[in-house]
Parts: sequence; structure tokens; C-alpha cells
Amino acid sequence: MSLFVAEGLVKRFGGLLATDHVDLTVAPGEIHALIGPNGAGKSTLVNLISGLIPADAGRIVLDGVDLTALAPHQRVRHGLARCFQITSVFRNDSVRDNLLLAVQAQAGSSFRCLRRREAETVLMDGALTLADKVGLAEVLDRPAGTLPHGMQKRLDVALALAARPKLLLLDEPMAGMGPEDSLQMVALIDRLRRDAAILLIEHDMDAVFQLADRISVLVYGRVLTSGDAAHVKGHPEVQSVYLGTEGHA
Amino acid sequence: MAQPAFATRFPGAVRRLPWLVLALLAVFPLLAPTLGLEYYVGFVRRVLIVAIAATSLNFILGYGGMAALGHAGFIGVGAYTVVALVEAGVSSAWLAWGGALVFGGLAAALIGAVSLRTRGVYFIMITLAFAQMLYYLAVSLRTYGGDDGYGLYTPLAMGPWLDGAHPDVFYWVVLAIAAGVFALFSRVAHSRYGHALRGIRDNETRMVALGYPVFRLKLAGFVAAGAVAGLAGGLLASHNTFVSPGMMHWTQSALLLVMVILGGLGRRWGAPLGVALWLTLEEALKMHTDYWHWPLGVLLLLVVFHAPQGLAALLERRGDRQGGAA
Amino acid sequence: MDAIFVFEQLLNGLGYGLMLFLIAAGLTLVFGIMDTMNLAHGSLYMAGAYVAARVHEASGSFAGAVLAAVLVTVAVAALLELLVVRHLYRRDHLVQVLATFGIILIADDAVKAIWGVAPLMASTPAALAGPVQLFEGLPYPAYRLLLIGAGLLVALGLYLLVNNTRVGMLVRAGASNRQMAEFMGVRVGAVFSFVFALGAGLAALAGALMAPISSVQVGMGEAILIPALVVIVIGGIGSVRGAFVAALLVGLVDTAGRAFLPPALRAVLPPSVAADLGPALAGIAMYVLMAAVLTLKPAGLFPARA
Repeated sequence: MSLFVAEGLVKRFGGLLATDHVDLTVAPGEIHALIGPNGAGKSTLVNLISGLIPADAGRIVLDGVDLTALAPHQRVRHGLARCFQITSVFRNDSVRDNLLLAVQAQAGSSFRCLRRREAETVLMDGALTLADKVGLAEVLDRPAGTLPHGMQKRLDVALALAARPKLLLLDEPMAGMGPEDSLQMVALIDRLRRDAAILLIEHDMDAVFQLADRISVLVYGRVLTSGDAAHVKGHPEVQSVYLGTEGHA
Repeated sequence: MAQPAFATRFPGAVRRLPWLVLALLAVFPLLAPTLGLEYYVGFVRRVLIVAIAATSLNFILGYGGMAALGHAGFIGVGAYTVVALVEAGVSSAWLAWGGALVFGGLAAALIGAVSLRTRGVYFIMITLAFAQMLYYLAVSLRTYGGDDGYGLYTPLAMGPWLDGAHPDVFYWVVLAIAAGVFALFSRVAHSRYGHALRGIRDNETRMVALGYPVFRLKLAGFVAAGAVAGLAGGLLASHNTFVSPGMMHWTQSALLLVMVILGGLGRRWGAPLGVALWLTLEEALKMHTDYWHWPLGVLLLLVVFHAPQGLAALLERRGDRQGGAA
Repeated sequence: MDAIFVFEQLLNGLGYGLMLFLIAAGLTLVFGIMDTMNLAHGSLYMAGAYVAARVHEASGSFAGAVLAAVLVTVAVAALLELLVVRHLYRRDHLVQVLATFGIILIADDAVKAIWGVAPLMASTPAALAGPVQLFEGLPYPAYRLLLIGAGLLVALGLYLLVNNTRVGMLVRAGASNRQMAEFMGVRVGAVFSFVFALGAGLAALAGALMAPISSVQVGMGEAILIPALVVIVIGGIGSVRGAFVAALLVGLVDTAGRAFLPPALRAVLPPSVAADLGPALAGIAMYVLMAAVLTLKPAGLFPARA
């Protein structure tokens, strides 16, 4: 039984078929990695699933709920949260304020407008828990924009975690990271699999082979093949279109 | 950059300043005759009314990032609501001003529902377009004077308890409303809603991805601001005892925007500071010369190049900054 | 309402649209290339109108007056660019609004100080004062024909400049992707100074040509600015072609609205209602057009940025 099902997703930009009838599933507790060369349509697919761009056709179901017709913020409410390839945090706000804002989105109404937010301990507790989880408890007062890249990335992940997602979409969490930051991120993602199923888009093959239970290869907007690490490594077409040309293997 | 010298040296003074200002404003009509400043009671009343409208604009623009260039349209809706109610036989000020508030909010709901789907410059332009439509609508309403405007010669009744109590009772009513509006918006700025609004200003896509109903949050702020601007329009109608389409001209919207940015976008004291400074300079310059526009123009250029965060930034402590266009 | 009246109004709309295009062209390029919102563009139009009216009156030469208007305005604009606008490129839109609104205030007072408060009556050049018989039953003012001819000529020239010259290529590169253009070593500063001066010249030309058929007065810049902004938004910010199409659309819609809506309403509504509604609907026609275009195409008809 799959936790998440995407069926027949299609997206056209003008004449270009960016997403070509993609079917994807993610089982509970699974890390499903999505790899593919640049321009294969990975980011488009994440945007379609999270709803930031509308799909031309297809269906998205999470935990038995059809999300296809829902706006992106409603999909979050149903347990579908995401991170961004280009780190997307509130740069001028402190780490604490970033986390508070993320917790607030899920804890009661944001139309409350008379009570001072600082007085709401529920939010504070939630923010601290998140900071602990991603290892940012030491830098709560730093403006997010001044943090090193690796920490900003982890903050980005923490913001998504605040939604207590059933499925977490990670769009190249290791992008632009040095080896040390990458190791930390791999460890973090490995811990997260206890909380949520993960759809992981990533270029770093070492990380993918280390983390993923299943790997799908996306080429020209289409799923070329799906399977475990051994299957993908041994697939002749994958070697020619992807691993061979990109030189990650 | 501006050094927060005054505020850091005298933090207590800064905390007590709002109450001091309020007290001074409250006793001003009583002191004015002895100081020979009776004329300025009306002037201060106008400053307060414009500050109400500017505070509502600062809320959506400075905190919400919604650069609306049609705010005078809501002021006009409020003013014409008063006219329409008076024409229909209403004589209660509270009913008329309440109507101005409601219709200002309704207009903002309709306009916001369409405009808030656009971004950036297109949002600026579409809010401007709607305000221009309201302007032409007012020009065409000949029942309410059309181009020539409409005189409200009988003052509205504020109730037996207030009317006749003192010649300046309307001044205190305006002061009370202005203080209430200011306190309300300052309070909201620190609430969940205020934080969410600023989050949308700084990173809208992320707010969507966090699960915020961004459109509805923005619309709520836009409607609140429109309602308060409508209320200011109703008060302005009573203040001027005259309403004309000119209140809604795009330069009025631009002027309101200019006063807010001048005072300090997204800063607590930005709107009242900007309005008070601008209108006072205007008043003072007008007394001495027919050419009173250009010094104000020079002032704007000076602010742009030497105090880009607005005047309020010069007074506030650095930590007090509640954001603003970075 | 007969065919001749309709044709006459279409010509009027075409003339107005072309003048709007001259004003909007500079505005859309400055906006598109440097992302700079210049509210003072209308003041340049005003400057052109005043200089032309005064020089024409003093010298008797209309051509000389137009030339003087363009030269003086371009000189003023160059100074303005050097002193103020150049320092606004990378600033927030709202800061640009603040600064250029300040320039409007200064410009209006300067005009008042130099030429007085009373509106100027600019005269039509004597040779073009009369009507031309376009065809049987349609006498059309010769001056308005000049307006149309000049407008079309300048539009063609601008089209050739933007599409067929090196400068034009740089301008287009800047409008469609500024960072890329900078990256490729385009001297964006020089291109912008050129574009700003060009835009000022076109606005001054429009002011000079419009002077005899409109009221030359303080505030005329603010009045023309809004239709010009509507044009660039409908056309797609940064697109000269879009500005051209949108200017003609707005010119025709505005003129047709004023000419045809009131009589049309009188035919179907009670006279008092029609008299109220007619001018209002005519006034808002172009804003409705803009709202409709933005609903269907949020980035305008010809978005310059892909």
C-alpha cells in the first residue's frame, strides 16, 4: 500500500513537454530518490506535486486524500511539505522567528490579531523542538541570512518539518555543500525517515545510494526506470544517458 | 546610516513619548486660545485624520508589502458614503462614520479580491486603475454634486452628551479615534497575524509552502486597511464640510504613499510622523510663498539619498526595527 | 451617428494613441531595462509643450519650436539622469516613486516660476491651420494629420532603431535580461543614459506636438502620466512593440468611449441617467481595458521577459 501516489502527471511549457505522464509512488517510511540529468524536469515535478505550478493532467493522492484540486497551502495541511533547491528562509529574521513562523502555520489560526505572539508558549516550545531536531539550538538569535550555507539548508528543512508532514519533498538538499555539511545533511535525512516518507531529489550520487530505498531516473520529463540502487546502477540506458555523461558514478 | 543616538541614550523617554504626545494633543485645544493658535486646532484635526488613513496604508504597505496606489479611493468611498447617508436623511455622525467604515471595507474587499492576484508593478497599477474608476464614478454622480462636489452644511449629530459640550468636541473625537486606530494597528503588528503578514512581505512563496492561506491573509489586511481609510474619509468629509472627486485623484493616493515612506515604511511611528511633517511644512511654506511645492520635492530627494529608511528610523532603536523595504 | 463621424473619431483616436506611444516608449524602456519607475516622465512632456509653445510664439517657426523643445528637454533630462535618476537604478520601486514624485513637485514650481500660472494658448502653425478635404464630406484638420504622420514616422524610426541597430540590440538585451546583459559586458550605464535621453526627447516631441490642441498648463504631465502607465502595463513592461499596440488600443478605446458611449447610452437609457453614466463609463474605459488584459495576460500583451 503506497502512502503517496502520483499518476499521469503532465506539464507543458509552450511546446515543451516538461513532465511527460509521470507515475510515482512512495511507501510509508520509504526514501524514494529521484535522479536525472540537468533539465530532466526534476524541479518542475516537485513544483507540480507541491502545487506551486498547476499540472495540465494527472492526479496526486496522499494517504487516501486526493490533493489534485487543492491549493499549495492546503496540500501542506494534508501533510505534504517541501524544501527549496535555492534555500528559502526569512533572511532578515532570527532563526527563532523563522521557526516560530513555521510552527504558527500549523498551530491554530493565523488570523488571531490581538494577542502578542511572544506570549504564546505553545509556539515557542514547538520552535525549540525543531531547532533541536536539526541542530540549530545554538544559533536561535542569529539572523538566518548570516548563517553558513549548511545551516541555512538545515533551517529550510526545519521549516518544512514544522508542518509534521507525512511526505517530505527535498529538492536537492545537498546542493552547493562541502563534504562536511553533506555528511551532516545525510545523517539528518536518515533520522527523518522515522517521521516521514521522503521524496528526495539529489545530484550527489553517494548520498542517494546511501539513503534511498528506491531510485527513479527522470530523463526528458519521463521516468526511465525505477528500482533499488543495484538495479539503477546496472541499467544500461541509465549508464548511457545519465551516469556516463554526468560522471557521478 | 542613521545612528540610534537619541533612543539609546534615553530609552525611558522613548517609552513615555507616546503618552506625552497624546497628552499634549489632548490639551492643545484648551491651550490654543491663550497661545493665539486657535486656527491650528483645525489643522491638527486634519493631521490626525490623514494620519488615520496613512496608518492603514502603512499597515498593508509596510507590514504586508502591498504597494497600493489607490488608497485615496477608499477615503473617497468613505466620504461619499457620508454624503449618501446625509442625502438619505441620516443625521447621526456615528451612523454615517460607521457606514464609511463598512463601505470602505466592502470596496476594499471587491478591489482586493481582483488586485491581490497580481504582483509588483502590476499590483500598483491595478489598484491605481480601480481608484481612477471610483474617481470617474464620483464625477458622474450629479445627485452628489458631480465635478463640483457636495457641501455638508449641517454638522452631523454626535449625540446629546457630546454635542454642545465644547466647541472642540469633534477634535477630541477625532483624537480618540486616531489613538485607537494607532494602538490597534501597533498591537496587531506583534500578533500572529502581524507576523504572518510580514512573512508574506519577505518571502511569499515560502509562506505558501509553510501552509499559510496567503491570499486570504492579504485580503483580510487589505479590507481592514480599506475600512479604516473609509472611516478617515468619513471624518474628512465632516472636517471639510465638503466632499469632491478631487479627494480620490491619483496624486492624493501618491501623496499618502509619499508621506508613509517619508515617515518610515513598516515602522510604528512612520505614518503619523510622515503626515505631521509633510502637512506642517506644507502649511508653513504656503504662508510665505506661492512656490511651496519645490522645497517639499527637495525634501523627498534628501530623504531618498540620506535617510532611505524614513524619519522614524532616525528615532528608533536599532532593535525596534519592525522591517521595511530592505 | 454616421460613417463619416465614426471615421473622424477613429482618426482622432489614432492621433491620440500615437502621441501616447511617444510618451510610453521612453517610459517602458526605462522601466524595462533599469527597472526604474519614473513618475517624472510626464514632467518632460510638460517641458516639451511649454518650450515649444513659447519658442513658436517668439520665433514664428513651428519646426524650430519643436526642435528647440526636444533639445532643451533632452538637456534637462540628461542633467536629471546624472544628478538623480542614475542613483535610483538599484533602489526599491517605492523609493523611486518617492524621488520622482519629488521631481514632479520641483518641476511644477519651476514651470510656474518661468512661465507663470496661467495656461498658455499655443497656436497651430498657420500653414496647417485649415482643414484638409480627406474625401467627399470629411474635412479633417490638417494639423491633426501632421500629428498622425509624425507619430507613424517616429514609431517606424524607433522600430528600426530597436530592431536593426547595435544600440537597439543592446537595448533589447537589457530589457529582456538585464543581469545577462551586464554579464556579457554590455555597458548598461551608457545604454541607460542613452535610453533615458531618447525617451525624454520622444516625450518632449509629444508635448510639443500636442501643445496646439491641448491646454498647456502645470499638471499636464501628471494628467498624461497615468494613461501612459496604463499603456506600458497593457503592452508588457519593457516592450516597445507592446507599447505601440497598447497605445493605439488605449487611444482608440478612450476616444471611441468619449465619442460613442454617451449617444449610445442616450438611445437606450433615460436622458438623466445617460448623462450621468456616459462620461463616467468613457472615463473608465481604458482602466477596464487594462483590468481585462491583466486578468487574461498578467504580464501584458507582449511580455519582454520570457
